[in-house]
Formats: sequence, structure tokens, C-alpha cells
Amino acid sequence: MRRHSWATARDLVLALGAIALVTVGFGQLEVTNPTIVALTYLLVVLLAAALSVLWVAIVSSVVAVLLLNYFFMPPVGTFTIVDPENWVALLVLLVVSLVASNLSSSVRARAREAVARRDELSRLFDLSRDILLTTESENAHLSLARSIARRFELDYVAICLPGHGEWRLHEAGARSLVLAQGDLDTALHAAQGTLEFNARERAYGGHRTVRSTDGAEVDLVPLRLGGRAIGLLASAGRSIEPGTLDALAGVAAIAVERVQFLEERKTAEIDRQSNELKSALLASLGHDLRTPLTAIRLAASNLQAGWLSEEERRTQSDLVLTEVERLSRLFQNILDMARIETNAVTAEREWVVPGEIVDAAVTQVQHALRGHRLEVSAEHDRAVQVDPRVTSSALAHLLENAAQYSPEGSAIRIDAAATPEGLSIVVKDEGPGIAEADIPHLFERFYRGREARRHSAGAGMGLAITRGLLAAEGGRVWAENRPEGGAQFSIAVPGAIRPEEFQPGDTP
Amino acid sequence: MTRASRILLVDDELSIQRAVVPLLRSRGYEVEAASTAKDALAAVEERLPDLIILDLGLPDMDGLEVCDRVRQRWEVPIIVLSARGAEQHKVVALDRGADDYVTKPFGPEELLARIRAALRRVLTEQGPQTGQLVRGDLTIDFDRRRVLRRGEEIRLTPKEFELLVLMAGRPGLVLTHRAILKAIWGPNAVDQPEHLRVLMAQLRKKIEIDPARPRYLLTEPWVGYRFADTTP
Repeated sequence: MRRHSWATARDLVLALGAIALVTVGFGQLEVTNPTIVALTYLLVVLLAAALSVLWVAIVSSVVAVLLLNYFFMPPVGTFTIVDPENWVALLVLLVVSLVASNLSSSVRARAREAVARRDELSRLFDLSRDILLTTESENAHLSLARSIARRFELDYVAICLPGHGEWRLHEAGARSLVLAQGDLDTALHAAQGTLEFNARERAYGGHRTVRSTDGAEVDLVPLRLGGRAIGLLASAGRSIEPGTLDALAGVAAIAVERVQFLEERKTAEIDRQSNELKSALLASLGHDLRTPLTAIRLAASNLQAGWLSEEERRTQSDLVLTEVERLSRLFQNILDMARIETNAVTAEREWVVPGEIVDAAVTQVQHALRGHRLEVSAEHDRAVQVDPRVTSSALAHLLENAAQYSPEGSAIRIDAAATPEGLSIVVKDEGPGIAEADIPHLFERFYRGREARRHSAGAGMGLAITRGLLAAEGGRVWAENRPEGGAQFSIAVPGAIRPEEFQPGDTP
Repeated sequence: MTRASRILLVDDELSIQRAVVPLLRSRGYEVEAASTAKDALAAVEERLPDLIILDLGLPDMDGLEVCDRVRQRWEVPIIVLSARGAEQHKVVALDRGADDYVTKPFGPEELLARIRAALRRVLTEQGPQTGQLVRGDLTIDFDRRRVLRRGEEIRLTPKEFELLVLMAGRPGLVLTHRAILKAIWGPNAVDQPEHLRVLMAQLRKKIEIDPARPRYLLTEPWVGYRFADTTP
């Protein structure tokens, strides 16, 4: 590493100053023994060698030799040397100065190198820590590139991964460069073939320096896993030693593999969840289909048997009707669920007053609400732009749920209004409320709360369908317990609102 | 029957109760219904029924657990109702003391036949088997250890005879592989169903007119065997 020239010039001035000081000092003190003077000069030269660069020491030693000759060697005041012994002395001083300077300078160079190496190592260490702390596969390549740029103080870093016919580049750093795809292809191709270790550079083959389209120098290093090159690491802004660059590329390659691994694990997790969904659906269908089927079959044959009283006959036919109703609701739920799962629900927004949505929902689940008192407070004078069918279906499921989990004869309260954000509907029941542990899972598919397992008319789909339907129009649903007891479910659907100028029955 | 048999129906599904109770009453049974395991155990404790119909999916306790608790103290026959189609659940229930099972959805005749068979089991199991048992054209002579088909003797090995007696003693009721293995070869043999398969094949060859389509020794797939109940 070169030191700045002004610092070197300062060193030179200091060294020459010191030599001048020695010369003047000894002149004043009238010291005439050339040996003492020579040793003092040597001390200055050695200090210069130890503290500055080699050529400062060399210049100092030459100047010192000349001054020694001029001022202290007889005949004093000339550069003439009479005594041959003095020749030897001068020569020895020069050689000793040079050798010592050389030694000291190479020791310092090595120390500097060691510091640089330690520095790179700690950057690598920090980088690998960054990578290990990453658990998210999303944007992981980008954050890897950012970490490298930050840790190694680079202007430009790109993780280049070959895709199908096109390179995927994850770039970071203050500069933005454009790399030629052809350069990347060539570099990767060359790296695929060679895996030779260059002992002098302490680096594997495949390093390349290319120019970006705007002329900047970019270092390309293959990202290798085992012997296989899986991509390239491009860097610019600071030249990094090939060995370090290799180690850096190695760490980056491991990180890339890790990202891939995280992604695979995520996919496997999604697969597992989808399988769980299927088996939950099957198990739930197994139970929820068999029970009504059994009841219908038995009741139908009871009806056939002819030994029933008129009242029993009515009970049995009621049973058949109720169970058929239950089956058709289940069937509708399965259809809704399938539509939500396959993203087949599309919202078609229309202007509608909140009251209409409530009416539609109540009509849909009339049978389930038979045993409950309904208290409705719904706005009729402002319209909101939502999908009326999707919204009322979602509300119907909430009502059904409220009826199912609150005692017969209790009240279910519906408040529906247009708010500045859109449509807001709140359903309150007088049931036992929701166990705290269940609240976070309430809207999960097939989740049934602890209490819910006692009841069996639903298959744990209703609330999930509510959430799925509302999500299709950007709405949401949440549950809480009311301080005065009972549960409260709230729906919020974003949408424009306007005052409803038309009377019911008019067409807008 | 000097008095009506009393049946306890344990099922949390009200619709099943509403359909099954009148069905059983119409056939002369006395019926009591319970919706939870707790109520069921209390009812058994208070007045032991002649038979329990038990749904495995109860809200407050696993049906198998109820089965265990009843079996610890009483011999009352238990018929398990299962909405779970999986055979292993049935086998576990049977191995843990249930007498038979009916899978939902079931029809009235199926349930009634199982009830009759289970109630009869209680009658036949009182005292060692002596005398003769006539099933269709088969006559089993327990005293002489002989089997006759239309008066003609069929020669059986002791093991074959044992298997036949075991099966014919519980007509209409399912016997799991484990239960048969344990009864004939002892508790160490319960994990060797091949013994039973071989013996059953031999016995069918001698007893059945068409061993491929048995009339007496019926297979309950994945569960066990059942001796035909209906008199051919």
C-alpha cells in the first residue's frame, strides 16, 4: 500500500532536518571524532527506515555520508578523502544504512499486510454473521449484496445468478453499473471449466476484470459450491486481493445456497399445509356428511314403517328436512371454500345501502336464526360501493355462527353503517364469548374452538369463508369479547360512500 | 324375554338420537339417550342397561375411554357407532372391549341386527357350551366335539373345531383378528395373523359349500371375522 506522497515528503524533510541538526550540533560541540558522528548518523537513518519508506532512508543515508565526508573527515571542508581507511568507513556506513533500511521496511510491509488481512478477515466474519442471521428467503439475495457492499466498502456489488436464458442480478451499492450479459456468460462459462489453484495469488481460477457499459472496472468472481459455479459475484469501487475475493465469493455462494434451501423449505411447508387442509376437509366431511345421512336414512325408514303416531311422524319428517338443510349448507360451504381456495371469488362493486346487505344476509340464514331475537340497526340513507353478494354472504356466515354459539332465545344485534372508510358491520351475540386462546385462530380453516367441539352442525368453515370472501374485496373481519359478555364480530369493507338520494324502489 | 331390554344410546348428535330412539322403541326396547360421556357413565352407574350404543366422537371424552371405563366394571355389551371410516378405530374399539360396531351412515336393519346379536351373546355366554348348536344346515355337537352338515360328519382338527366353536358361539358379532388369535393360540400369537388366515382357509374349505363365497364364516375386511347370523 502506498502512503500519501505528502506524508513521505514530510518524513524526508524531518530526516534531513535531523541529519542537519546532528551536523550543526556536533560542529558546535566541536566533536571531531568521525566514528561518533557516523554512529549518530546511522541512528537517524535507522529511525527513518523504521518510521518511513525505504527511499527516504536511502536518501538520508547518502546525504549523511556526504556530510560526514565534508565536515568531519580530514581534510575537513572538502569532499576529498586522503586516508583509505576513511573510504572503508564511509562505504560501511552506507551499506549498513541501506541494509538496515531495507530490513526494517520489509518488516513493516509484512505488518501492514497482516493488518490488511486481519481487516479483510473481520469483514468476512461480519458478513458471514449477517448471512447466518438471515432467516427470511424473501429479498435475501438483495440483502446479501447489501451486506457485502457495506462490509467491504464497495461502490457496487451484484450477485449474478443465471436464470433461464437471462441473468438475474441482485445489485447493491452507491453506484449503479450496467454489465454486459455476454461478459457474464463468458466468465461463468470459463469458471465452469477451470478449478485451478493459483498458489502465488492464493486464489482459484476464474477471476476476471471486465468493464461495465460506462467504463468502470468490475471484478467478477465465480460463486462456487464444491466445484460447480452457480453464479458470479461482481464488485467495483475497491480492489480486493484475489484470495479475499475468493473467500468472499465462497461465503456468498453458501449464502445463495442457504436462500435456496430456505425457499425450498417454505415450499415444503406450503405443501404440507395444503395437505393438512385436504385431510382436515376429508375428516370434517367424513363426520359432517355421515351424521345427517344416517339421520335422514333412519328417519325416512321410520316414516315408512307406519307404526308412528301423527306427532312422531311430524317429528321424523322435520328431522329429514332439518338434516337436508344442513347438508345443503355444508355443500354451499364446500363450494364457497373451494372458490376461495382457488381465488375464484371476484368482487363486483355496486352502490348499495348497508340495510340491503343486512336484509340479504338475514334472508340467507333465516332457518338458523329462528331461535333468536334479531335487533337490527342499519343505515338506509347513505350508499356504499362494495360487492353486495360477497359482503352479505360473509355476514350470513357471521350470523349463523352467532346463532350457533349463543343460547336459544337470546338476542343477536346487527349494526351496519357507512363510515368514511367504507362499510362497517358489527354483530353482537349474548353467548359465552370466545376463549382467549381461540381468538387468534378463529378464522383459520377448520379451526374449531374448545367450546365449538361440543356442537357439530358446522365444519369449522364458516368463519374462514367470511374472511376469504371479505379478502376478495379488500375487507377484513375480526373478533373480540364484549366487556358486558358475549362475542362481537366486526366487518370492515373499504369503499366509496355517497348520500342515497333515491327512495327505495326508484332506480338510480 | 321376560322384560324389555334396556338400551342406552350415547351420541351427542341430537338428530341421531331423534331418529334412533323411536326406531328402537318401536321394536320393543326401552331406550335412554345421553349426549355426553359424563351423562352416559352416570346413567350406567345408576341403572345398568342391557346394551350400550356408543358414539366414539363425544364432546367431553374419547369414546374409547368410555368403553374402557364401562368394561372395568361391567360386562354389558357395547356397540360402537363410528363416523370414522378408518378401520383401525373400529379394531381399537373392539380390542378395548366393544362387542361390535356400526359405521355411519347405517340403516335401521343393520343396527337392529347388531343389537339382537349382542343381546344374544349375553344369553349364550352364560355357562359352558353343551349340547348342540344348529346353524342352517350345520350342527355343532359340543359334547362329542363333532360337526355335521346335513347329518354327514365333517372331520375337523382340534384347532379348526376350536375356531368354529368360538365363532359360532357369537353369531352375528364381529371378532377381531387379535381376539381370535388370543383365544386360540394365546396372548403371544396376537401379532401373527397368518396363523389365523391359514386356519380360516382350512376351516372354510371343510365347512363352506363354496369357500370363495362363504355363507357362515364371513370376512369383515381389515377388522376380523363374523359368524353369519341370519339363518340361511
